[in-house]
Amino acid sequence: MINLLQSRERLYWLLQVSGWILFGALTVLFANVFNVQLAPGVLEGRILIFCLIGFLLTHLTRLAIKRLGLLQLPLEKAWPGILISVLVCNGLYAWFTILTLEYFNLFLTPEAYSLSFFQKWLAIFLDNGLFILSWLLLYFFFHYYYDNRQRQLNTLKLESAVRELELKTLKSHINPHFIFNSLNSIRALVDLNPERARRAITELSNLLRSSMQTEKSQLVPLRQEMDIIRDYLALESIRFESRLRVELDIAEDTLDLPVPPMMLQTLVENAIKHGISTSMDGGWVRIYSFKREGAHVLEVANSGYLNSAVITAGFGLSSTQNRLQILFGTPARLFIRQQEKDVVLCSVTIPFQ
Amino acid sequence: MSIRALLIDDERLARVELRKLLMDFPSIEVVEEAANVAEALDKIDQLKPDLIFLDIQMPGKTGFDLLAELDRSPQVIFTTAHHEYALKAFEVNALDYLMKPIDPVRLADAIQKVQQLEAARIGNGEGEILPNGVLSENDQVFVKDGDRCWFVKLNEIRFFESVGNYARVFFGANKPMILKSLNALEDRLDPKLFFRTNRKYIVNLRMIEKIEPYFNGGLLLELKGGDKIEVSRRQTLRFKEMMSL
Repeated sequence: MINLLQSRERLYWLLQVSGWILFGALTVLFANVFNVQLAPGVLEGRILIFCLIGFLLTHLTRLAIKRLGLLQLPLEKAWPGILISVLVCNGLYAWFTILTLEYFNLFLTPEAYSLSFFQKWLAIFLDNGLFILSWLLLYFFFHYYYDNRQRQLNTLKLESAVRELELKTLKSHINPHFIFNSLNSIRALVDLNPERARRAITELSNLLRSSMQTEKSQLVPLRQEMDIIRDYLALESIRFESRLRVELDIAEDTLDLPVPPMMLQTLVENAIKHGISTSMDGGWVRIYSFKREGAHVLEVANSGYLNSAVITAGFGLSSTQNRLQILFGTPARLFIRQQEKDVVLCSVTIPFQ
Repeated sequence: MSIRALLIDDERLARVELRKLLMDFPSIEVVEEAANVAEALDKIDQLKPDLIFLDIQMPGKTGFDLLAELDRSPQVIFTTAHHEYALKAFEVNALDYLMKPIDPVRLADAIQKVQQLEAARIGNGEGEILPNGVLSENDQVFVKDGDRCWFVKLNEIRFFESVGNYARVFFGANKPMILKSLNALEDRLDPKLFFRTNRKYIVNLRMIEKIEPYFNGGLLLELKGGDKIEVSRRQTLRFKEMMSL
């Protein structure tokens, strides 16, 4: 920010100095081209006066504009101020130049001396005032153009930051409730079945590790996601024992397709949470992955009944839906419905990229 | 003095683990286990445990549902894998909960608390069970209204108000609804403690601060906290009889 301000300040001085020098040089050039005949020193003196007063007055006007905070206002509120600054700066410019020209006796023609002060003032106001006007217009245009661009840039940056943040929060994490229940089961297994306890610790470690790594990648091959799900299901089987029955039907040619990490895991977790853990006799979960009509379809079916409160309140599902939209656009979709009398089906369609 | 405990959790391994932890506490005798609310209700009815270890999330009905169905609540220690904040809805001071996997030190604290409460109860000559399932004044009931739950001792209740088929319980600053009719409640309450003043109210006699005559030969009772409740003409006679005894 400081850099930006410094570079802007430097740019102003560069333009201010070079602009007025250019103005003076052009006036000399015109005088030579049109072969204006003047007493020696008159042309140089006039140009020096016009340029110096112009330089000083525009600089003071800039300070006044800054002091008044005119540039912080939106254009539709700032225009009366802009108009007044143009008139005041121009009026002062004409007044100062006349006084100086009179003092140094630098008027072009003797007739000029016979004009009233107001006439001279008006002449310079209209004639040289054009330069002041263009100076101010350029100044304002430059500001509004750059500020606008800066604002657009900021909006874009903000949008991408929001999107990134959204993706981060939408990425599912392992439910802590699940972790602690698993640890509790593992503690019981330490005495009952030490071998199984050792394996369960490996499974839980794998699961936690990949949950942490979802931060790093937006997509992973299904093969990798399935490894996680197998570990996850093994742990849930320890908890639910015979109450949980699982079937997997994963087409070989879908194993290398990209999927958002932990997405399928969330869906399976949902299925177990609503389909198995609420039923005293437990139930079953089936997971399918296959290709259909130019898209990759992932399905999780479970025994049980669809509770409409689950669809609206289930953060897991709505965040998965949002995540799919951000990653794959609108053709990607997720739905959940009561497939048969006692079968709930959740289906995700991801179009091939 | 051993405390008879029932373990209620839908996960077999969780029950195994808790049983193992409790082996270090000879004062706790685990009498049974239950894997769901229906089973637990049966076993509480049969075995009348002093203490239950209760999981909250279970298939079908939750641990809170179980408590709401009990007339008289035993001492309860919740066991849950959820964090503390999941229980924040709970406005109960007398409640203890343990987070799974259970820390043996926390378990020891909880059991010590239960032992102190039990000792106090027996020392006061309380805890004897009145005939026909009538509740004594130190029995605590579990009240659940929407998301909020309370353990309330009967002697903390000022009065019950009939609202259609349900009743409203007034205690402290709270007045939750319970899914029981005033008639059903009247049958379970100790008549030495609670009096039916009219069709709409049952009043805790210990909460009465002032008695004034009322028109039509009735009475007006002023309770602690300022509530005023009318005694119908018919009940006034019975009320006077009782109070003169």
